[in-house]
This record gives sequence, structure tokens and C-alpha cells, in this order.
Amino acid sequence: MRASEWAALVKLSLARDKRFAVSSAFGITVGVASLVFFVGLGLGIGKLLREKVFPVDARLVEVVPPKLALGGLLGGGTIDETTVKRLSELPGVAQAFRKMNVRVPAVSRYDGDFFGRPLRMGLEVLAVGVDPALVKGDLLLGDFKDPGPSQPIPAVAASRLLEIYNKSFAPARGLPNLTPQLVTGLMIPVEFNRSFVTSSPGGTVTASQLQLVGVSQRGLLAGVTIPLETAKRINRASGVDAETFTAVTLLAASPGDVPGIVSAVKGLGLQVDDEEQQLAQNAAAVVVLITAAMALLSGLICLLAAVNIAHALAFAVRARARDIGIMRAVGASQADIRNWVLGEAAALGLVGGVVGTMLAIGAAVGIDIWVTRALPPFPFKPETFFDWPAWLWGAGVLLGTVAAFLGAWGPGRQAARIDPAAALAG
Amino acid sequence: MIEARGVSRSYSDGEGGALRVLDAVDLLVQAGEFVAVVGRSGSGKSTLLHVVGGLDAQYQGEVTVAGQRLTGMNDAALSRFRNQQVAFVFQSFHLMPTLTVADNVALPAFFSAAPVNRTQGTLAALQRVGLADKKDRKPSQLSGGERQRVAIARALFTAPKVLLCDEPTGNLDAATGDAVIDVFRSLNREGLTILAVTHEERLRDAATRVLTLSKGKLS
Repeated sequence: MRASEWAALVKLSLARDKRFAVSSAFGITVGVASLVFFVGLGLGIGKLLREKVFPVDARLVEVVPPKLALGGLLGGGTIDETTVKRLSELPGVAQAFRKMNVRVPAVSRYDGDFFGRPLRMGLEVLAVGVDPALVKGDLLLGDFKDPGPSQPIPAVAASRLLEIYNKSFAPARGLPNLTPQLVTGLMIPVEFNRSFVTSSPGGTVTASQLQLVGVSQRGLLAGVTIPLETAKRINRASGVDAETFTAVTLLAASPGDVPGIVSAVKGLGLQVDDEEQQLAQNAAAVVVLITAAMALLSGLICLLAAVNIAHALAFAVRARARDIGIMRAVGASQADIRNWVLGEAAALGLVGGVVGTMLAIGAAVGIDIWVTRALPPFPFKPETFFDWPAWLWGAGVLLGTVAAFLGAWGPGRQAARIDPAAALAG
Repeated sequence: MIEARGVSRSYSDGEGGALRVLDAVDLLVQAGEFVAVVGRSGSGKSTLLHVVGGLDAQYQGEVTVAGQRLTGMNDAALSRFRNQQVAFVFQSFHLMPTLTVADNVALPAFFSAAPVNRTQGTLAALQRVGLADKKDRKPSQLSGGERQRVAIARALFTAPKVLLCDEPTGNLDAATGDAVIDVFRSLNREGLTILAVTHEERLRDAATRVLTLSKGKLS
């Protein structure tokens, strides 16, 4: 049988029994809809975690001094320039970025206009100095280098901090939402060698200004990121360690180089701070687990739908035995009959797969709209909780078609084996 | 046109034994003949028709129809044979109730190896039996005689070499049956070979040769 005639016959036979077609496609539709919905949700949540909540760059390795080391007791266990040089020469390392905390407390006392609203607050400020190259891609204003004493210090804020401010802090206090462009240039007063929570460390309190010059995913989450030379200068002026580094961020040439770098770092007696990666991995694992469970459940629905199609088609084949006999009499082969039954099922599966996929996407759009309207803003609240890669669309349609096709395999063979002479006589 | 030699066919009797309905049957039908095979119900007439029509391959013996040796043919080849060389007309019409008259007539086109002009072929076949104006009706909207004429139109759609008729007037009243027999006569006069099995005298009288099937033997 030619393909065009096969398609015409399938269309004709489905059109003559619409109730059978609708009831058979319904199960497939439900199964595919639930599968596509849950997988889309899992992918969306995973993407949210990866890109917003835990924006971990898979090529970065954070190296810190060991928490407890014999070398530390003897004066070793630190990261100095020599160690940084050795780290930067490890195989697979493309770049090494030094980090040094400002090792004296600092506070900010803000009292003035804040984007058109009066704001008065005081808070402890944590600051880390980094090699400018680490954040240069996110700078929106000026150079990221030490400006020298009595000049505003360029500072980069963490993008997640801005998100928390916008979705949690600002709404509760009637403050405006801010974008990276808006906050760029903002001046924040800061006093080094002062603390609200600990006794005075001694030394001279130095008043300065922080000027925000950008927002970066690589910025310190609970503080500000400033140029490394500025941190050194402040530490030196305060009489604290200005030579050893708090951490070194290594940029691997590719994610595949990371395991080797981690191993080499540990071989040098240093530690890798992968707390953030672990959090991200744990969260991702939970999402994958839940998504897999839901997908399994949906797969079972599809399996049940396939069984339903098998039963419905087996019944239909028995009911159509005379029609099959007629078709055999006018020239249908066993293969034609089998392909006709399989074609009917595949068409039902195709329609069920397409409708199911569209239903899943429709439900997702509905949920996104509801969340947008009904839920208050919260940190990392996405525009959508779903992700729809092209392969998921294809997989939904393919699953429906394959499930129906498999369900029809037995009835198709059964139909092909019908004795036409007996069917016509009966 | 039809040559069957030593054809035997048995069915299970349901009690472990075999019921032989055709017993070494020999049949020779020349091209252009109108042969009627008569016999009592259950004598094996339909079985003989199914064997020479390629619907039943579970027989012993040799069968050649329209120059094609059916014995040993695989299913695909037998199906092509049924589609192109022979056509059936049944007592119960065997039309698809949910299809229109036109779709029923064009049913063989679905299984044709070569593209077929469905519209033209359907119209020509329906005109041949005088039902061109009823092509969009469903079989349930037709009389018994009209349904059988639709079945004949379906048989003519592929221009077969042999028409195989299984009690074609069995479900028709006398007048309607006569009209259908007239169609067969006309087709035979145009050169179509017809093998009809029947127990009706009218059809037997229309045939150019009559054979009797009794106790599995043809005489």
C-alpha cells in the first residue's frame, strides 16, 4: 500500500469512529501532558537554581587555606604570592584571581536621600578585595583599581544581594526597586576600624566612601567587593596582615579540567571551598529526584494509556473482522491490515502527544500568570517556573506516538491474522 | 482463464477430525465463459470460489488464474492478484456501512500498487451499473438491489479479468435479482469471465455452462 493511500485509509477509518478515537487519544493526552508538565517544571526549577539562586560558574575553583594544618601551627598554611604563582601554574588553570578580606571591621551609617526616599540606617560592612580582572566584565562605571586615600573606593555589589533587596528588603520598607544601572554611581559612607557588634579593635577610624561601579554574580554575597590593592592598603594602614590572601579563585580552561585542578590543589595542602557548589548540587539533586518521580508516574499513565489502546483496538479489530475481510478481498495484504491498525494508533498517539504537550504548556502559562498576580514578590521569583527546550516538545509528541504504536502492536498482528474467507462467511 | 487441478480443502470438524469439502476438484474455465457452479448449502461452493480467488491458500492441488499460478504464492503476491486480476461479488453485498457509495466503490484503490484515478474510475463504474447519481449516499440509504449494484461497481473498479460471484442474487427479490443477472449477462457479453456459485435457477439459466458440486466433487 502506498503511503498516501495508507494515510487516507487511516484518516477515513478514524473519522468513521470518532468516539473510539477520542477515548483512545484521551489517555495518551493525559499521560503526555503530565510528563511534559513535570519535566518542564523540573527543568525550569533547575535553571532557576543554576542561574539565579546558585549561579555557580562550573569553571571556577575557590582555593582557601587549610582550616587546620601543621604548617599553620608552624607559621605555614597560608596563601602568599609564591603559593598563588604555584596555583596559577597548575595544569588546566587559565587564570588565578587573588582575594583578600579587609581584616578590620567596618560600618556604614547612611542618613540621607535614597532614590527619592529618606533613609537612615547603620550596618556592618564586610569587604573583600579582588583582582580587578575577576569582575571587569560587570563594571558599568570607571576603573576598578585602588584610587588612593581620601578618594571614593570603587565597589561591586553581588547580583543576588540586589535581588534580595528588591524582593524582600525594599517592599517591606517602601523603598524603590533598583537595577544595576540605577545603583551604579551610588555613594555609601563607610568607616573602617569601627564596629556595631564588637568592641573597638583599636587603631584609627578611617572614614571613606564606597562608590558602586557595577553588580556581579562574582561579588561577595554579604558585603562589597573592592579592588585588591585597596584592601591591602586598608589592612596595611590598620596594622593587620596585608600580605597573605584569604582565597584564590582559579579559572579552569574548561569545566573538564576542574577535577584535576581540585586534586592538585589538595596536593599542595590547600582546601577547596565548594560549599556553594555543594548547595547547588544538593538542590539540583532534589529537583532531579522529584522530577524523575513525577516523570515515572507520568510514564506509568502513558503505559496505562497504551494498555487501554491495546484493549480498545483488540475489541475494534474483533468488531471490524468483516470489514477486514472485505479489505482483504479487494486486495489488502496482511501487512496492509497490520499497518492500517498501527497507523490508526500512531495517528491517535500523535494527536494525543501534540494535544498533551499543548495542554502542559497551557497549564504552565496559567500557573505562571497566577503566580505573577497572586504571590507577592520574593527573592529569585522567576518570570516562569518552566523551561521548554525544543527536545521536550519533540519528546512529548514522540512519547504519545510510541506508546500508542506499542499498544497497537498486538491488535495489529491479530488483525493481520484474521482469515478473510472466514470473516466474510461469518 | 481458470484452471484448478486436484484441489482439495478440509476443515477441522471440531472433534479432532477433518471435514473434506473439496475432494480433488478439477475445474477449467475458458476466457469469456459464464460458468455457474450449483450445489446444496455447505457443499463447498464458496470454498471453491475463495480458493480460485486467492482468499484461501490452505488447499492442496494446483490453481492457475489469469495466467498466474496461485499455488505457493506469498501473501503480498496473492493480495496483488486479488486487487488486479479478480473481483468478488457476495450475497451479503459486503459494503462498508460508514463509507459512502463512492468510497465503497473506490476501496480497491487503497491497496493498488500503482496510482489510480479514483474519481474517474468510481464514476465510470457507477455509471456502468446506473448508480452515478447516488455516489454520495450511504449503503443504508439504498435498496438491496442497489447495494448489490454498488458491490458490482466496486468489482468493476479495477477492471478485473475474472468476476467471482458468491450467491449474488441470494438476498434479492425476483425482480431485483433479474436486474442484477442482466448486469452479469451484459458484462459477460463484453468479454468478462464470470464464475458464479449459486443454488438459484435464474442465475444458473443465465450461465453458458453449469457445473454441480456435490460431496466435494465437481461434475
